[in-house]
Amino acid sequence: MTLLSVQDLKLEYDGRIILDGVSFDLAQGELKVIMGPSGSGKSTLLRCLNRLATPTGGRVVFEGRDVLGPGVDERALRQRIGFVFQNFALYRHLTALQNVTLALRHLRRMPAAEADERALRQLARMDMQAHAHKYPAQLSGGQKQRVAIARALAMDPAVLFFDEPTSALDPLMSREVVNILHQLRDERVSMLCVTHDLYLARAAGGRVMFLDEGRIHAEGEVDELFGPNADPRVRAFFHQELRQAQTAQPIDAAQPMDQAQPAGPSGPAGLAER
Amino acid sequence: MSFLQILLQLAGGVGYTIMVTVACSLTGVVVGLGVAMLSRIGPPWLRGLLGAFTFIFRAVPVLVLLFIVFFGLPNAGLRVPPLVAMMLSLGVIAGAYLAEVFRGAFDSVDASEVLAAEAMGLSRFQILRLIEIPQMLRFAVPGMINEFTTVLKYSPFAYTVGIPDVMKEAMSLSATTLRGVEIYLAVGIIYFLIYKLLVTGVWALEKRTRIPGLTG
Amino acid sequence: MASFLALMLEYWPQVLSGLGNTLLLAAVISVTGLAGGVVVFYLAISGGPLRRRLTEGYISFFIGTPLIVLLFLMYYGLPQWGLKLTPFTVAVIGFTLNVAAYNARYLMTAFRGLDPDELQAARAQGFSDLQVFQLVILPQVMRLSVPALTNQVILNLKDSSIAFLIQYAEFFAQMQDLAIRSFRFLDAYLVAGAVYLALVSVVVVAARWLERRYVLPGVRRAR
Ligand SMILES: Nc1ncnc2c1ncn2[C@@H]1O[C@H](COP(=O)(O)OP(=O)(O)O)[C@@H](O)[C@H]1O
Ligand SMILES: [Mg+2]
Repeated sequence: MTLLSVQDLKLEYDGRIILDGVSFDLAQGELKVIMGPSGSGKSTLLRCLNRLATPTGGRVVFEGRDVLGPGVDERALRQRIGFVFQNFALYRHLTALQNVTLALRHLRRMPAAEADERALRQLARMDMQAHAHKYPAQLSGGQKQRVAIARALAMDPAVLFFDEPTSALDPLMSREVVNILHQLRDERVSMLCVTHDLYLARAAGGRVMFLDEGRIHAEGEVDELFGPNADPRVRAFFHQELRQAQTAQPIDAAQPMDQAQPAGPSGPAGLAER
Repeated sequence: MSFLQILLQLAGGVGYTIMVTVACSLTGVVVGLGVAMLSRIGPPWLRGLLGAFTFIFRAVPVLVLLFIVFFGLPNAGLRVPPLVAMMLSLGVIAGAYLAEVFRGAFDSVDASEVLAAEAMGLSRFQILRLIEIPQMLRFAVPGMINEFTTVLKYSPFAYTVGIPDVMKEAMSLSATTLRGVEIYLAVGIIYFLIYKLLVTGVWALEKRTRIPGLTG
Repeated sequence: MASFLALMLEYWPQVLSGLGNTLLLAAVISVTGLAGGVVVFYLAISGGPLRRRLTEGYISFFIGTPLIVLLFLMYYGLPQWGLKLTPFTVAVIGFTLNVAAYNARYLMTAFRGLDPDELQAARAQGFSDLQVFQLVILPQVMRLSVPALTNQVILNLKDSSIAFLIQYAEFFAQMQDLAIRSFRFLDAYLVAGAVYLALVSVVVVAARWLERRYVLPGVRRAR
């Protein structure tokens, strides 16, 4: 059953075309990956789908309803979509637990005890219950990511969006993110994940689409897209990413770096800059 | 009359000095918060208006505004009690300065957290109340301490409208004893002690509500 | 209001001399306060721990006590010891001590943002401490502090009105005089407020220009 259907989505900004007719479907329980270089419009695409950005054309149907129409309750729509941001975007003044309960308390109007219990269950699902009372500044990158996912899951969303879930993590943590994606897929959570991380796109194991310059140029199972008959644009992207990955980080060549969001001083991008 | 006796005599005005300082500081926080919040979420024309408000009230001397309110307004048929006159002058001017402090502190709130809150489905006002203000207030602590100190230092103007604060006590004592140097030295020491108390108090409050990774 | 403006016109020499006195006091204390601030700043960073403690105590004390107390001490207190100073002298001494403390604090804040390696490098080249101060520290710290220092000039201009309380015949004192003469208090004080607003606006425009011109490119102000 189709959960989300995107048809010919377009977005122009200041006369520049950011999205140039994107179409795809996401089925209930499916994990779909959209891969593409920095600046290809991945984040913008996700933001159009929950109306954080306003497309200039096309149609988005989510749970059988037109999302872009005038009478749509934006805030109700957003509560149905769990969003995990690139840099986690945890609220720094709230503990891990409070980050998860915030929406339950203030959007669901749930009593404190019930919200806490439910949030702790989500944190346990992400193996984070031991850190429930820590503040974001006291958590590692991987731990923040788990809290961010627990926060998104707490509202029982129909779908989870991931924006570059590995770009702020080191290679070991990237592998853990893949494990989490697999765990959630096995639990039949619908997920849409955008990334420019080749390793993630390949290891996630869902259907992969390749987005470049606001347009989808190829789509297929991992083997097709990563195989010998791949689209030339896709191959060019691979070459570029792999070359960067090799110069930046000889140990794990599968982990490309994100130029737009350099990792901290200990991260691979930090080393490359020296 | 010993120096200690002078200090004790002046201490009678300390309560009024603190009352004026606290009342004006609170006025400042309320005005500053209101202005900073409205200019963050309000329409552009309101932002322009509030910008003009902060500019004007940061340009007019406290003493001049105090005289407008206390001695001037009666000409227009409006009589204002002394403490209220202090709040409407010193307090509102502090509010204009604090609005700037709060505006800067609001800008230190991470835009990605605001976006995440929007993506969650929180309303603009909920985002302000639950995410931005709690963080902003922590970033604003050093600026608020500066402003509260300034309020304390202008509080002696209260004597000009007849509030019996430390300064007023000192003036009457100096007139009767002719020992102005010691008296005003004692006044200086008293203000300095109140200042130290104020700064220590605010930092203690900040420490109790401190969150790892979030300081001004 | 119209009749009050007519009265002002009638007494214009008095108003004008008050305005002149205000500008004179603000200008003098802006200069002496800046010079004093640089001296205090030098004393604070160049000596041993004792000197640093003393200068920090000075800064803290003058930032923590109202200027008006210092002015009253000198103007109403000292004559009782047989020392009578003019209002202008009292104002200049009092403001200078106070403003110097503030300016020194701005300079200290900027100083903490400097790169310590750069100072090491200058010493390694063989410059004396005073030379390092004059050639490396001061030029950078002054530029970094331009916004704070110009803001202090605005405060000086506004605070010069306090001198009216020690009988200095500055602008606000003259307006007060006209207010009592005419019994038009509201008009008089509103006009005074408008004049300060205009004066401050001029300084703000000048300060913006100075900032654009003298703030070092690539050097950011420490928070
Ligand atoms: N707020 C914005 N204002 C102007 N241009 C933007 C904005 N956000 C993104 N863009 C532009 O839109 C394009 C797509 O950006 P984005 O969706 O962030 O790409 P990606 O997430 O794939 O790196 C880029 O060329 C970027 O410069
Ligand atoms: Mg992106």
